[in-house]
Amino acid sequence: MIDTRVIRLGRYAAHSRIDWINPLCLLALGIVGVFFIYSAQVYTGRTQYLNQIVWLLLGAGVYVTVASFDYKLLLKYSHWIFLAAILLLLLIWSPLGTERGGAKRWLDLRFFLFQPSEAAKIGVLVICASILARSEIGTIKDSLEVLGKLALAVLIPMFLVLSQPDLGSAMVLPPMVFAMLYTSNLSTRFFAAALALFLLLVAIVSLDVFNYHRFLVKNDLQPIVDRGIYERQSWVPLRDYQRDRILSFAAPGSIDPTGISWNLNQSLISVGSGGLTGKGWTQGTQAQLGYLPRGVAHNDFIFSVLAEEKGFLGSMTVIGLFGLVLFNGLRIAASARDRFGTLLALGVTVIFAVHIFVNIAMTIGLIPITGLPLPFLSYGGSFLLSCCVLQGMVQSVYRFRKDF
Amino acid sequence: MNRSRFACGYRHWLVFLTVLVGFVGVGYRLVHLQVVQGEQLRLQAESLREQHQTYAARRGNIRDSAGQLLATSSILHDYGVDQTRLHPADRRKLPELAELLQIPLPELERLIYGFEIPRQWLRLKRGVDDDTHRRISALDFKGVYGNRYYERVYPGRSMAAHVIGYLNRESTPVTGVERHFDFYLRGQNGWGRTILDGRRNEQSRFRDVAVAPRDGLDVILSLDRVVQHHIEEQITALVDGFRPDGVTVIVSRPADGFILGLGNYPTFDLNHFNRAPLEHQRNRAVTDVFEPGSTFKIVPTAAALELGLVNERTLIDCSLRSLDYRGRRVGLPSDVRSYGTLSLPEVVAKSSNSGTAQIGLLLGRQALHDYASAFGFGEPTGYPLGGEVRGILHPVSAWDGLTITRLPIGHAVSATPLQVHFAMCAIANGGLLMQPQVVRRIEDGEGRIVLEVEPVFRRRVVSRETAQRMSRLLAGAVSTEGTASRAALPNHHVAGKTGTTQKIVDGRYSRSQHIATFSGFFPAERPEVAITVVVDNPRHAGTGYGGLVAAPAFRDLALALINHLNIPPSDLRNTYVAFERNPADRLP
Repeated sequence: MIDTRVIRLGRYAAHSRIDWINPLCLLALGIVGVFFIYSAQVYTGRTQYLNQIVWLLLGAGVYVTVASFDYKLLLKYSHWIFLAAILLLLLIWSPLGTERGGAKRWLDLRFFLFQPSEAAKIGVLVICASILARSEIGTIKDSLEVLGKLALAVLIPMFLVLSQPDLGSAMVLPPMVFAMLYTSNLSTRFFAAALALFLLLVAIVSLDVFNYHRFLVKNDLQPIVDRGIYERQSWVPLRDYQRDRILSFAAPGSIDPTGISWNLNQSLISVGSGGLTGKGWTQGTQAQLGYLPRGVAHNDFIFSVLAEEKGFLGSMTVIGLFGLVLFNGLRIAASARDRFGTLLALGVTVIFAVHIFVNIAMTIGLIPITGLPLPFLSYGGSFLLSCCVLQGMVQSVYRFRKDF
Repeated sequence: MNRSRFACGYRHWLVFLTVLVGFVGVGYRLVHLQVVQGEQLRLQAESLREQHQTYAARRGNIRDSAGQLLATSSILHDYGVDQTRLHPADRRKLPELAELLQIPLPELERLIYGFEIPRQWLRLKRGVDDDTHRRISALDFKGVYGNRYYERVYPGRSMAAHVIGYLNRESTPVTGVERHFDFYLRGQNGWGRTILDGRRNEQSRFRDVAVAPRDGLDVILSLDRVVQHHIEEQITALVDGFRPDGVTVIVSRPADGFILGLGNYPTFDLNHFNRAPLEHQRNRAVTDVFEPGSTFKIVPTAAALELGLVNERTLIDCSLRSLDYRGRRVGLPSDVRSYGTLSLPEVVAKSSNSGTAQIGLLLGRQALHDYASAFGFGEPTGYPLGGEVRGILHPVSAWDGLTITRLPIGHAVSATPLQVHFAMCAIANGGLLMQPQVVRRIEDGEGRIVLEVEPVFRRRVVSRETAQRMSRLLAGAVSTEGTASRAALPNHHVAGKTGTTQKIVDGRYSRSQHIATFSGFFPAERPEVAITVVVDNPRHAGTGYGGLVAAPAFRDLALALINHLNIPPSDLRNTYVAFERNPADRLP
């Protein structure tokens, strides 16, 4: 009798003890996002904020659905999820694939443009968590097989995403896997080696961009205008527009400030001119008058719009909400029932952290401009849905945590 | 699955710490950007988007006395293309646009679409008129637009060019009415702020006009387009007939000094001033001096009349070649032929040098100088448009032995055509010397008079009576007896004086180059119009150029003006000229 009651009570408790911190924070961020997408477009009269509301409602449904299932199901079907993601990535080469601005990143699903790289994020997260949850790793030698599997699971989709090309989305995957490996107690030497490799990569890119600059000066070429000349002769697989971005970040004075540094400079001016309290909602001159280019103000540069119109206090409020989501995510990871749950929650949190930091850091000039959107604030359907799926998993991990 | 080892390890905290460091980094940067640099960046944003803008005032018109336009500012449009705003659907409108802009279709296509990097401004055509501008606007060709500007236009082209003046390429008024009445013409530019968007295009909905432009005022000249036209026609006839180096014709109203017309040859087209040599842009009426010659004879004659030294019946022995003067023998200038003894009216009519020189001797040096000065020689006339030279009238102390006999016949003095003209006008105006005036009044855009220019009286030179007597003597010069018989009019008495002087070339009197002058007015008994014609170096055989070249030009011009100005004829039954002789009143 008593046992049953305890179990019943426990079940009841498991279902009732929902994490409210994340969904409330995310809802708040989503609403803020709608307001600033509206603001970014009010001058031109475009109304994509309405679409964003629809996506938010859909996203809420997706969130509740994913959260209501036990995340164990994901472990069970992880291979299928991964394969589905790969399939979606491959579909880009089918007639459904749609090109925009020289990049083939979308599937045309009639009613909306779907970005398979978003599905790839989920797929890679689930498969990696599942691989790591099923195996025990320690020293590099012991874990070679696991590492091999992981490498396949990450590198195949990464290659497909990079070939679109979408450097930003591809960049999200390595930190996530490294964080998972790290908390799975992989030998420190592995990370030392990885760090060394990363530094080597940074050195190569730096040298290449330095050469690029020298090449431009020597041949009296202009960045932007003469894009594509250097990339033909360089063995570093970067595109010249990417070199331009790095160059404009590293040496803003060395190239035309109205040209490629324009976005960065205007973003800095937007954020800075907001001051402590901002110019007021829909009063941001930078965003309204198109100094922040209209093509990106409502998605990749939504933070600039917000920072200009709501100032330091508004920016810090939003960053505070993101902080709550991230730290709460880590807390949930720590309290998960099993290793798979921990890895899932951790992976989601790292994906969010990368998006948040890379996006905000680029708008305030801490890193070169990379096209990564800001979760729940930036305009975009696929991205919002995938964010809801990921956060739904975290909720599921919390609901089915160990104490019950 | 070993959860405890997993979640509580320092590694978990390290991940936590990494995220925390990220937050601190972003937060620090935001503090720096928004709080520390905030104000500076706000100003930077402001200076990027706000632009101080001036709104050009429209320059006032210059009109003639009848309100006809002599100079105006027309609205034109500077057409260009913003290649970043082109719309593919507009391409089919290209032939229509080409026709409106009058640019060949292939060239227009190349200009608009032939780019690798789109430019925000590429000029297509300047000087598109307002009507064409409206039609192009109606075409709604995205990216193709015009900027309004004003261009100064002179509908009369070379008409009264030396009076009107022009604006140079920088729109700075350089000469004439344009320059000297710029204060009224220029108006007041307005200014305001405007907002530029990220593509540096003006956002007209934010335009804020702090001070509206005030258009310039209209300047109404005393010049009459018709009179000016007749003057220029006459100049053309003189140029065709005699190939002179230069011609100046001045027409004014003696009573108030207002100039009705002033023309020079060579002249230039005001709309293309830059194509004309500066030489052509000179207003010779005020900038060039010459020895007035016989036209100057009105000065000693009127002076002697005024002082009672001579009268109409005085006889003068014009055959004299020399004379004792103040204990010294002075030579008298010779005449074309020996006249014998002439009465004063005959001396004037035949323009005897010897006779006039003797009148000069009678006056004495100081009186001769003072009257020359009173008539306005050696001082600026006060011509309101600048550029005037004063001519030369030496003080008595600087005279040599010949001056006393040479000055009376208009040598040893130099004057501008305008000085000669206004000296003659003083006779026509009952002895009052007036200041030349070109501007009648200033009006605003609605025709309300802002300023009326009053005649300016300079001084009384001789009494009304003397002036009238002088007029009768001058009428004699235009009679069949006189040198200027070709200036006579069928229905009007004319008073006037010819002048023929040898040009001074390289410091010597030239035998071949002359300046022919006629200065006169009519009707002689109540003068309405004074006309002076100066022809520099006419190619003409013989002597007496003043009578043969300048006097007929005067007559033709006067005939044309009688109709236009509606000048009533003289009563020809009264003989205006009287040649009388008084044997008792003989000189010296």
